[in-house]
Amino acid sequence: MFHCVRGSNSNTRTFPDTAIVEPHASHHSNRVEDFRLITGTGKYAADWNLPGQLYAWFVRSDRAHAEIVSLKVERALKHLGVKRVFTGEDAVRAGYTKFFVIVNYPGRGGQPIKKPARPSLAAGRVRHVGDAVAMVIADSAAAAQDAAELVEVEYRDLPAVVSVEEALAPGAPQLHDDVPGNLPFDYESGNEEAVKAAFQNAAHVTKLRLEVSRVAPSPLELRACMVQYEPKDESYHVYVCIQGINMMRKQLSFATDVPEDKLVIHAQDVGGSFGQRSAAYPEYCMLMLASKELGKPVKWVSTRSEGFMSDTHGRANTIQGELALDRDGKFLGLRLDWIADMGGYLSATGSASHTRNPSACMTGVYRIPALYGRFRLAFTNTVPVAAYRGAGRPDIAYVIERLVSQAAAELKMDAAELRRRNFIPREAFPYKTPTGSTYENADLRGVLEKALKVADWKGFAKRRAQSQKKGKLRGIGISTVIENTGAGLFPKDQITLECSADGTVTAYTVAQSSGQGHETTFAMVVADTLGLPLERVRLRESVQSKGLIGNHTGGSRSLVGAGSVCKLAAQKLIDQGRSLAAQELQVEPSQVEYAHGAFQARGSKKKIGLAELAKKQPLSVMAEATVGSTFPNGCHVAEVEIEPETGTTRVVSYNAVDDAGNVVNHAVVEGQVHGAVTQGAGQIFCEKVVYDRDTGQLLTGSFMDYCMPRAGLLRAINVEDHPLPSANNALGAKGVGESGCTASLAALANAVVDALRPLGAQHLDMPLTPAKLWHAIQSAKKGKN
Amino acid sequence: MAKVEIKVNGVRHARNVEDRTLLANFLREELGLTGTHVGCDTSQCGCCTVHVNGRAVKSCSMLAIQANGAEVLTIEGLAKNGKLHPVQRAFSECHGLQCGFCTPGMIMATVGLLKDQPNPTEEEIIHGLEGNLCRCTGYINIVKAVKRSAKLLRGGKR
Repeated sequence: MFHCVRGSNSNTRTFPDTAIVEPHASHHSNRVEDFRLITGTGKYAADWNLPGQLYAWFVRSDRAHAEIVSLKVERALKHLGVKRVFTGEDAVRAGYTKFFVIVNYPGRGGQPIKKPARPSLAAGRVRHVGDAVAMVIADSAAAAQDAAELVEVEYRDLPAVVSVEEALAPGAPQLHDDVPGNLPFDYESGNEEAVKAAFQNAAHVTKLRLEVSRVAPSPLELRACMVQYEPKDESYHVYVCIQGINMMRKQLSFATDVPEDKLVIHAQDVGGSFGQRSAAYPEYCMLMLASKELGKPVKWVSTRSEGFMSDTHGRANTIQGELALDRDGKFLGLRLDWIADMGGYLSATGSASHTRNPSACMTGVYRIPALYGRFRLAFTNTVPVAAYRGAGRPDIAYVIERLVSQAAAELKMDAAELRRRNFIPREAFPYKTPTGSTYENADLRGVLEKALKVADWKGFAKRRAQSQKKGKLRGIGISTVIENTGAGLFPKDQITLECSADGTVTAYTVAQSSGQGHETTFAMVVADTLGLPLERVRLRESVQSKGLIGNHTGGSRSLVGAGSVCKLAAQKLIDQGRSLAAQELQVEPSQVEYAHGAFQARGSKKKIGLAELAKKQPLSVMAEATVGSTFPNGCHVAEVEIEPETGTTRVVSYNAVDDAGNVVNHAVVEGQVHGAVTQGAGQIFCEKVVYDRDTGQLLTGSFMDYCMPRAGLLRAINVEDHPLPSANNALGAKGVGESGCTASLAALANAVVDALRPLGAQHLDMPLTPAKLWHAIQSAKKGKN
Repeated sequence: MAKVEIKVNGVRHARNVEDRTLLANFLREELGLTGTHVGCDTSQCGCCTVHVNGRAVKSCSMLAIQANGAEVLTIEGLAKNGKLHPVQRAFSECHGLQCGFCTPGMIMATVGLLKDQPNPTEEEIIHGLEGNLCRCTGYINIVKAVKRSAKLLRGGKR
């Protein structure tokens, strides 16, 4: 079993030799990739440049829903430096009208999902503010931007559909002619009849209508892409921010009919992704077209304002949830009516992340005999919605955990006790859920008790009384969650491992890090298995020439997938080395022992090192594994204090106990939890994408209007590991990248609602801004008077 | 077009640039110093923070010609004499970065912040970082890194 290396102790490394030598390299949590990132020598998508490159600028719709009556490019073409202006007609002529959508499973009554056309530039009609209608190519970015102002578009406005309720209402304006009722997919999961029966026998039913608001994932790196067409072999070199080269190639190929082997993806550093960077956006296809036609590399760097109106949004679900309980608080059934806002077009991942993912863990951590969910996707005149960190799992966990805490309040029960009473007991694992998942293992009770202890759950009443004395409202919130990590788009994950003559071991993967620290963690796995110092091992990501099959980084799957295969590859390298060493040492392979980079004949002093062997002939192995879902789980407890005079909330404590299986690098795991919990806190307290209800104009189009979490939103997060190893992969790991989002939405919202409950408030939808809380507090007070 | 002469990381550079060229674009495109990042267009994110005449400035909110004759320090010039700056070290040691995109700006802002206030309280750090956004780390380790930086700069024990 892999040794758990906790954070900073044993397996850290000095920075590589470069012009800057770090003489006192002390070893805290220095990651391998840190050196270039703290010295400004990283390379993000916008940092790539090629000789003779041209620049693209997109003209975007300022209407939510309109017909394009005419589009005149003559004036733009005359502008100095302009080479070409592309429009939707060019996209259609090239056949660039398809868009890759993951879902291929049927919905209710066996009906397939409807995937309307999506030309790489809008043709005939625009469906959201920001829909690109033309692309200007010029010899400088400034010239392209100036000329874009000269493109004349005449629109005939159509009525905009902004909310899902409007979209699904009879007589609503239709976004796509081949998708009646703006309903591309109607999906169901569970047993409707069983749930009906369960509700008939219930002693109590708790109901909530919940909004999981639309948010902008907003990785700090701006989306950027450069394409160079190579006529010699008809290939396209695409320099772009990605989550994985294979997923990008598959999608680009689908949209353009260019064979995958003619698409070469280049990426080094990616500045955050969160699901938003997994798609082959239409702009990339247009850059391919432009580079081929103009014979030059074409580069495009988005602005943040464009990003808000063209990078996919996340969440955007409206859910009616009902939980049925018996007299003793045992759960009998759960019914969900789930409407997911897909925006103007289907994104690559949104339809899956808003149907299959929430349905896979619809029972949460509880034994609920009857489950039924109906999931409807709706088109609206807004930016397309896709996976965002957690991809439907935070949404379903929010629904269940809000319902459970609400039920506890209605039944005047302790929220932890109601959970305890309904947990899937440890002996019931592997647990087959009513919606078809098989949860491998979990120590739900152990996780809960640990969290209650570190959060001093029992001492809350006293702390609340103290806050009350100061005139403040105090609340405590809990969530206990489980999620299925992503199984991936490709059937297996492969790793190539090579040992060079200088003794350096290099691992190759196609799982692209965007902050997760693969270069450190994966290298630790290899170094640990080979018994080598970390300095001897390095990881290379996204080297397409290695031809590896493997998944992108997404769905919390990289360590579990590619990371665990690093261990298998290292074991395979030892086996390969052993038979070569046997020849060198002139003994049977069974007589060769390996330790710390060297092979030794048993009972003899004859020895040969990995490097010496590699000098004689290249050492290289490829290992692979098919790794399905793991089921990380955890309990988060949040405590808040609200100032009633201003409605401001302070998170006074946040405790996270997570079972992420075996932990390779605690500092990285903790960092993932910090980041994800803060994104959850951002969604609960401040973030929301807002559209004008009548016109569909985007009101939160920049960081001036869209409230991003800033330093100080959460002062501290106490992260405790509670590892129950998974047998699913060679490391015993479970995914951890998204669990912080999954658990934090409900924990924080439950804490705020708990604080307001003494005033009579039962529910508020996110974001719980000071203004919203102040109004809720004021109206509650008025109601009491 | 305007002629500008700017000393960047100790080296004098003279260029003819369009009047509207932002300092951030000048550094990235004219000088190839791509360590200065651009993450927004409303001067909110702070990814482009550099020092102009010793003061931390968002280089997207300043024209290159406004920096004519000035001394500019970017992330690429922060390490001196083959040694990382203590703030660079502290960010790595405290795991105060993940994807690294906001990091150059965070580090340059921190160096500026600690010049003004060598021993800041947590409140002062949070206030001082209000103009810098990070989407990965959740800020907790960044605040730790700033505290550690302050300690290192004051010559405290590592």
